[in-house]
Amino acid sequence: MKDLLTTAFLNLWRRKLRAFLTVLGMVIGVASIVVMVSLGIGIKQATIESFAGTGSLTTIRVNSWSYVSNGNGGGGSRQKELNKKAIAEFKKIEGVQAVMPLVQTYGMIKSGRYVVDASILGVTKEQAEQFGITLAEGELPGTGSATTYEIALGAWTLEGFYSPDNYRQALDKNGNPKVTKDSRMQLTFDYRNIYTQMNIGTTDDGSGQPPTPPGDFYKLKVTGIMDEGNNDFSYYCVMDATQLDKIAKANKSFTNYNAGKYETVLVKCADITDVKSVKNAISEMGYGTYSLQDAVEMAEKSTQNVQYLLGAIGGVALLVAAIGIMNTMMMSIFERTREIGIIKVLGCRIDNIAGLFLAEAAYIGLFGGALGMGLSFGISALLNIFLASSGLRSIIPAYLVFGAVGFSIIVAVAAGMYPAIRAMKLSPLAAIRNE
Amino acid sequence: MQENPLIDVRNVKKVYHVGTVDVHALRGVDLQIASGDICSIIGRSGSGKSTMLNVLAGLEQVSGGEIVIAGKHLERMTQGELIIFRQKRVGFIFQSFNLMPYYTALENVALPLSFSGVPQAQRTKRAKEMLDIVGLSTHMKHKPSELSGGQQQRVGIARALVTNPSIVFADEPTGNLDSNTSEEVMHVIINIMREQKKTLVMVTHDPHIAEYGDTVVHLLDGRITDITTNAKDSTTLNEPRVRETEGILNA
Repeated sequence: MKDLLTTAFLNLWRRKLRAFLTVLGMVIGVASIVVMVSLGIGIKQATIESFAGTGSLTTIRVNSWSYVSNGNGGGGSRQKELNKKAIAEFKKIEGVQAVMPLVQTYGMIKSGRYVVDASILGVTKEQAEQFGITLAEGELPGTGSATTYEIALGAWTLEGFYSPDNYRQALDKNGNPKVTKDSRMQLTFDYRNIYTQMNIGTTDDGSGQPPTPPGDFYKLKVTGIMDEGNNDFSYYCVMDATQLDKIAKANKSFTNYNAGKYETVLVKCADITDVKSVKNAISEMGYGTYSLQDAVEMAEKSTQNVQYLLGAIGGVALLVAAIGIMNTMMMSIFERTREIGIIKVLGCRIDNIAGLFLAEAAYIGLFGGALGMGLSFGISALLNIFLASSGLRSIIPAYLVFGAVGFSIIVAVAAGMYPAIRAMKLSPLAAIRNE
Repeated sequence: MQENPLIDVRNVKKVYHVGTVDVHALRGVDLQIASGDICSIIGRSGSGKSTMLNVLAGLEQVSGGEIVIAGKHLERMTQGELIIFRQKRVGFIFQSFNLMPYYTALENVALPLSFSGVPQAQRTKRAKEMLDIVGLSTHMKHKPSELSGGQQQRVGIARALVTNPSIVFADEPTGNLDSNTSEEVMHVIINIMREQKKTLVMVTHDPHIAEYGDTVVHLLDGRITDITTNAKDSTTLNEPRVRETEGILNA
């Protein structure tokens, strides 16, 4: 075996230029296929990343409502209560890292003459950490004092302040918000407190029903501002979960807040590969589920065709290179007819002869593949420089490196198969003939 | 002939189909060669002597008849079996030497051993011994192009014998050499054969060379016309009886 490999290498070495040209063909073939595939991977990666930017890929959104198909094209929705018991069950599913109910409510924040509508999410510090809720500045809200509630404002909350009288945005001449995080703010859940000039509901409206008393104002202390790149959470204002629960319950008549019952629960998986199984398990329990995986899968399918096309374009060059190998090997056999005859007469086994030619082909594949990879990395680096502005990228992952070299060896050996069989069948008599 | 010949050829026929014409190269040959015998097959071009050598070495299939070598039927062997047979039992000396041009003398001699899987160190050792025997111990690292015709053929002889075969076939071993070198090479061949008690089957068209054999088989148009026997003594090396042979040919 060692003899075979050494001999095969020496046979190639003897015909350096020809071997080099054949290898060069292979280099170009491999490089073209690798660069094409790397662009395909780049497109796929870019697609996935664009989704990842809109939310975490490992998070599943569970809704109490789910769509049920009735099997003949139609369908209806059904509801299953999302409560603490359901959350406990979700936590038991294998692959689930954390579960967070979206404890949220809507209120209005008033600062001087201006107000803003706010979606407020109640989280614990632990949940914030698990679900990657991060702040651009400041720190997460704590429990505050008896009269002051701590809050982290949404990334765009300050820009959202407006005057309830004329609906003008609270921006100065330069477009900066007039309200800052240090401004005094109050939170209320009763819109009548804001739109006072409308005078609805607070006085007797003639229906005979006693008017509900106006909702309270709560003093707020801004502890931080949400991170803009915070996936699903940037838009929310965040309060401590128990504090939010407390004031939301107190304002039940305004908020429709229902403690212990959730519309949406977020489930975080330990790994991206767990998402599918966890999602299925939750669906089977009768809940509606949605994860970005669904969208990513669709996108992957559509980019797959592009990848195949790119691979095929590169494949043509490799095919041409394979034909080049075949041609080189055939030439080599015609030249070495006598040599092959001699070693046959001297007792060389025919499978060894075939092996010799296959080994030569494999070397061409190996060198072609290895050098082709080198060239690919060069081209890929250049492409990444020139295509940087267009958003196209060339990515060569490790599996592509080994895959391409392995593939080029396989292609080369396949191309060497026919010449090897020809060599095997050559008559030993060629050696006896005297020229 | 002896009781149990090493090579037993029984009514062997060989027909080549050339287009629509059948060419009868061998038309029923019977021949026995004893172990240790040196047998020359002589004949003009087209007499079938090369075909005879090819079928004996298992390089070509016979069209009819039997070839039994050391009790084994060559005509019943598969390609693979024939190769193993050649590996173990047969050495081959070619007219045009057929050395590998890129290999040194030593590598050329060691080559057949690599086919039967002998380890590298042992191959080199054995090849050195053989080159020593043919008197080329000073030319081991030379390539064939750096050797004279006679030296090249001596490398060929060493290569034929390196596997220690029982039979050596030689196809016009002096065909590409001048007469002085021919003598020298023939002496080397015959001496080694005698010393190592090998059987040599040699094909030639040169009556002078044929006279080195213990038996001389005359072929004409695919048939044996005559078999002459020479006394086995050392004088045959020095004075081949050319005249006698000429007389036979003229007859």
